[in-house]
Amino acid sequence: MEKIQHLYWRAGFGLSPREWKEKQGLSLQQAIDGLFREAGADEPVEAPPPPSETPSRNMSEEQKKKLQEQERESLSQLRRDWMKRMASPRYSPLMERMSLFWHGHFACQTFSGTLALQQLRTIRRHAFGKFGGLLLAIARDPAMIRYLNNQQNHKDKPNENFARELMELFTIGRGHYSEQDVKEAARAFTGWSSNLQGIYTFRAQAHDYGSKTFFGRTGPFDGSDIIDIILEKRETARFITRKIYRYFVNEQVDETLVDELSRRFYDSGYDIGSLMRAIFESDWFYEPRNIGVRIKSPVELVAGIMRTLDVRFIDDKALVFLQRALGQVLYNPPNVAGWPGGKSWIDNASLMMRLNLVGYLFQLSEFSFRVKDEPEAAQRENAMRRLDATMDMEPLMQLLKGVPREGYFERFAGYLLQARPRISSGMLKPFTAQGSDWDYARTLAIRLMSMPEYQMC
Amino acid sequence: MKRRDFLKNSALATTSLFLPSFLPASLGGQFGGSRNGRILIVIQLSGGNDGLNTIVPFRNDIYYQNRPRLGLKPSEVLPVSDELGFNPGLQALRELYDEGLVCILNSVGYPNPDRSHFRSMDIWHTGSGSEAYWSTGWLGRYLDSDCEGCASPYHALELDDSLSLALKGAGRSGFAMGKPEQLRRTTENRFLKALSEASRGHQHEEEVGYLYKVMADTQSSADYLYAQSKVYLSKANYPPTAFGQDLKQTAELITADTASRVYYLSLGGFDTHVNQKGRQERLLKEYADGLKALVADLRQNGLLNETLILTFSEFGRRVKQNASNGTDHGTANNVFLLGGGLPRPGFFNEAPSLLNLDEGDLRYELDFRNIYATLLDKWLEADAGSIMQGRYQPLPFL
Repeated sequence: MEKIQHLYWRAGFGLSPREWKEKQGLSLQQAIDGLFREAGADEPVEAPPPPSETPSRNMSEEQKKKLQEQERESLSQLRRDWMKRMASPRYSPLMERMSLFWHGHFACQTFSGTLALQQLRTIRRHAFGKFGGLLLAIARDPAMIRYLNNQQNHKDKPNENFARELMELFTIGRGHYSEQDVKEAARAFTGWSSNLQGIYTFRAQAHDYGSKTFFGRTGPFDGSDIIDIILEKRETARFITRKIYRYFVNEQVDETLVDELSRRFYDSGYDIGSLMRAIFESDWFYEPRNIGVRIKSPVELVAGIMRTLDVRFIDDKALVFLQRALGQVLYNPPNVAGWPGGKSWIDNASLMMRLNLVGYLFQLSEFSFRVKDEPEAAQRENAMRRLDATMDMEPLMQLLKGVPREGYFERFAGYLLQARPRISSGMLKPFTAQGSDWDYARTLAIRLMSMPEYQMC
Repeated sequence: MKRRDFLKNSALATTSLFLPSFLPASLGGQFGGSRNGRILIVIQLSGGNDGLNTIVPFRNDIYYQNRPRLGLKPSEVLPVSDELGFNPGLQALRELYDEGLVCILNSVGYPNPDRSHFRSMDIWHTGSGSEAYWSTGWLGRYLDSDCEGCASPYHALELDDSLSLALKGAGRSGFAMGKPEQLRRTTENRFLKALSEASRGHQHEEEVGYLYKVMADTQSSADYLYAQSKVYLSKANYPPTAFGQDLKQTAELITADTASRVYYLSLGGFDTHVNQKGRQERLLKEYADGLKALVADLRQNGLLNETLILTFSEFGRRVKQNASNGTDHGTANNVFLLGGGLPRPGFFNEAPSLLNLDEGDLRYELDFRNIYATLLDKWLEADAGSIMQGRYQPLPFL
């Protein structure tokens, strides 16, 4: 069961108490198969209400402003909806987890809900397919085209932004291409654009049909040729595999394992699903050195808490507030390099918010936290003071059925903490209610979820 | 009363009792050595302050042609030279300028400027070029380098509830504190304190050990900073705004000889696309009035010559006003330095050229990274080359 639990923390957002009970009888292989089966039967992401205005050239300033506001609001709804999906056992955890990974890999900022949704759907469609297909779809994704200025990439005046990031961050990494390669690749992507309605458009009159020399090959390449040539390089398979390993397995990279995995990834024609299966079906994935050593990202942490306690926030603002306060706003990575992850999530303020979070949910203490303002804000926002939510502790309590009171600590620590705690149940005694079993169990769970160990997965 | 005498007489001079136990004993006994050096205050004007209506070229026809309605009339500005005048909101800053406490650097920016707030702010925070993405800030890397072996995690303090990228290092980070009492409330959790106690001496795995370390640092720092915030209560006349109170807090902590050499503050609201004039003037007044009170405070405590204040914004705005009596995102901008011992007060370089534009935007003349390098090298006496990850010639403003 420890293995299945580890699997669910890395391939998803942990197990809800009900899931934990249901998986008891499963073999590891059955659990893995189940994850992939569910990911294959993914329910499409729901769209927020479409804006009332249609973008057009002759919009008034008033209409433009209204449209922008509606797009912002729908983006905000997508931020909340996605977290709820990650938190809910109704959806495929592996699909949410994998798309979160690709969302951070193909980091892209947008202010438009329409474009953000379109991109997320693209990512999900290709999340377990061939990496080349995903890459090509992202190169034609309007949010990305706008973010990396490919709109402005014209044969008379190439814009290198997309071509550069394509190689530096999305595929092969620094040191494997020259400045000349960037220039030539940029020419190949000229004319890959999007129209006013946010639909991919190829503008033939802006495209450079001339001959390009890229990675030592010469021809009248266009963008998809460039992608094919990049994928021919084994370094690309290694770059992606290493990043996946760091994210799903361990920040401390075992280079030998990555070599082996990336060789198979390359030989499979960059099949993402097979790579993920190879990781989850390996023995080393379940070795102690890979368990409980990863600092949860903010959305992983919050989704995990929501899953465990069946949290429903009464105020929808809370979900976006938490993303901002803890430093991971969905659809708004810090820059095109994505969230750096690991220790960079942690500073004094974010850590105290994380450690106190479950206490705040139970309204054990008050808080006051002002998130940093959007640069466009005219005045400072007020501090958030409450996280109003409903919770259901009953399923969690069900895990104690048949366990004597002395065994509660072991059972809960085993279920809640991926990093083994160094303290004993005795240390917790002054901080737990000593009355009824229910009261004791409830305070015990809150304390365990307030420990630094709970931040790990 | 001199600051040292004040501290000696203060009943709260026993603050040292609150010093975290992991501070070296040499710092625990007296305040004298705790800060160990000069102070840098960084003020960030968020949103992109319009530099051309901050320092106004009021004799320049091109300025008025580009800003038929937004341009400040010669009668409105506060002239400081034959050609340049301050925004009327900066009355208090002009007084400081006249005293020789202000140095203004014109046309500060970087190559291939980015007009996105986020991206440009990132570039200013990290000190990277516009083609690179760094995950550590310039002050964070200062902490990484200078602080090697030093114990206090609040060596750089941001007056806010959350920490900016500028103060995040690879191994060390600055410390975020909105209000001392609120910070202390987050660490008052008795359970977490007991956990820190119980885990002392434990060999944790690396990552979770890091969390325990940050937690323990935060707990002791919160107590220490709370105590420090009670040592000296300023009577100076700060604006009754959040920014004004942040400045006051800064002055109080500096006066109490708090073990922090860097303070980081922000004032937002400068993204003036619409009806800029009144809003910008109001914000600049809040800024200047705050600085005036801060200078009075520092001077009274004999600290003005030990303090340097840097003010920047992520970009300036376009030369031409827009149709909504505002301005859109631009490029190069002015940067202010304020302090007691500036060797070259006044204008460091000439006003920006309005003739030689880059597609309607000012061209930069000074790279902001040369300013950072100068501050690191000459003021904080740190290894600017390694912190900035490149050679940036110091500028002779210090």
